[in-house]
Amino acid sequence: MNAIEITNLTKNYGEKQALAGLNMTVPCGAIYGFIGENGSGKSTTEKIICGLIHPTSGQVKLFDKDYNDIDIRASVGVLIEAPGCFPNLSVWNNLIIQATNLSIENKEDAVRNVLKLVRMEGAASNKFKNCSLGMKQRIGIAMALLGNPKLLILDEPINGLDADGMRIMREILTDITKNNCTVLISSHILGELEKIATHYGIIRNGKMIVEMTAEELDKSCPTFIAFKTKDNKLTKEILLKKYSKVLEDEQKEYLRVYDTSTPEDIVLYLYKNNIIVSELLTDKIGLEEYYINLMQNKGGK
Amino acid sequence: MEKTTELKFTSPTFYNRLKGMLGVDFYRLFHTPLFYIFLCIAAIIPAMILGMTNIENAQGVVHPLYDNTWQVIASESALYVVNNIAEYANMNMVFIFGGIMVSIFIGHDYKSGYVKQLFTTHPKKQDYMMSKSIICAFAMACMCITYLMGSVLAGLFVGASFSVNFGSLVCAIISKIIMSLGWASLYVFLNVIFRKYFAISIASSFFFGTGILIIGVAAIVGNSSILNIFLYGSSVFASLSSNFLTILNCLLVSICWAGIYNIVGTHILNKSDVY
Repeated sequence: MNAIEITNLTKNYGEKQALAGLNMTVPCGAIYGFIGENGSGKSTTEKIICGLIHPTSGQVKLFDKDYNDIDIRASVGVLIEAPGCFPNLSVWNNLIIQATNLSIENKEDAVRNVLKLVRMEGAASNKFKNCSLGMKQRIGIAMALLGNPKLLILDEPINGLDADGMRIMREILTDITKNNCTVLISSHILGELEKIATHYGIIRNGKMIVEMTAEELDKSCPTFIAFKTKDNKLTKEILLKKYSKVLEDEQKEYLRVYDTSTPEDIVLYLYKNNIIVSELLTDKIGLEEYYINLMQNKGGK
Repeated sequence: MEKTTELKFTSPTFYNRLKGMLGVDFYRLFHTPLFYIFLCIAAIIPAMILGMTNIENAQGVVHPLYDNTWQVIASESALYVVNNIAEYANMNMVFIFGGIMVSIFIGHDYKSGYVKQLFTTHPKKQDYMMSKSIICAFAMACMCITYLMGSVLAGLFVGASFSVNFGSLVCAIISKIIMSLGWASLYVFLNVIFRKYFAISIASSFFFGTGILIIGVAAIVGNSSILNIFLYGSSVFASLSSNFLTILNCLLVSICWAGIYNIVGTHILNKSDVY
């Protein structure tokens, strides 16, 4: 069974088409990284899944049932944009409100549990408006987690978080999926997403361009040998005589050779051409580079 | 990544859904200063009218606007055509600033983004309309009571007369409290329509709350009882000459309009993007 199954989804805002026949499949138990440029249709898709906006056409199924089914929707937790909290109420009161909304029987215990899960036990009495951005995001997650949702929809939950906040968020998300919860998470911080996601969907101009598992991504990402020399420009010219793909990295510090050859071959070849290699490493391109390459190939920015 | 554990979904009953929503709204109402501020306003306004307002008669003699305390609760008889402020300024004013309170209360749902949580887990929009109508009617009924208390205290303070047909007074007060449901439903409906425009929500609530449309119609058709089919008409009908039939009339009109506004509001929410 799939947690989310979207077929041919379209959404028009007047003349503007936000979604143009989107197809998407999120398996149960997955952490699905939903990636795309600003305005590509991520938030629109998430809002449709949550029933906040209506699609123009297409079908959305959650756990094999229509997305408007009340049984299913009672099991969806959501954090879209910012947490929906009342600023003048305390963190505790905001969570109690959500627990009441979900008709949770033992509200205090449920709130205590989610606060513990998001490492916010000490901040329960703080007014929501006085919380930092990272705390607010965690409160949003706590709110979404109340009632043990089967599906969690998180829109940019790690934006604006510091390194520690990101680590905590990563741990929280990993913990959640142990309880058979499916997570749909959109983010522009691909390096972080790569650490937790089990599936990916890349959307562009309202259409899904790639859907794959983390294993498939791993296989699709080529390995490269990166190294530093005194004159990278000259080195690149020499290398291009033998190797087909030689590129500089973003900081123009390292040269990368994307080929099947071994580091020893390259070092030896350069040595024969009187070039000394000072640093050398073997690595794979990550999700971020894969995404950028994909966008460039598809004519994106 | 497919997990084989069977997923079970609980089916929330109508009772549970409404209970959850009402629970949230009552919790919010009692935890927001806004409610208490409006209760105080409701108590202060009749006190100010009774104690501080004077009117000049045709002979140019200035005398208090009301010489009887209960005139600030309801007019002597159902006067849809307003000739002077004394015929207008009574408990019906609760429904004007009650509308502003409803706009702020519902506006916070959207401003804070809480509706995202609400509508994600509660796809049935009728629950939302019903819950908001009930809670806002409750808030307005509370305001009617503090208005009554403020009136009595002010009446005692300024030494105004308390002579009245007690039965009619009780009928008038009960009728006006009953009208809270209809008015609250109207304001919830207006706030659903203008949910993205907070200022327009408040302005429209104020506009309809003043009953200006019915007063305008009354200026053409006169003091016709046909105006009782409207919320403002029935609110005016609840006067100091009320009887049991007035209560029945107000109950019928209030429930009918509440039903209409809830059905239309639910339809609008179902057909439009809510956030």
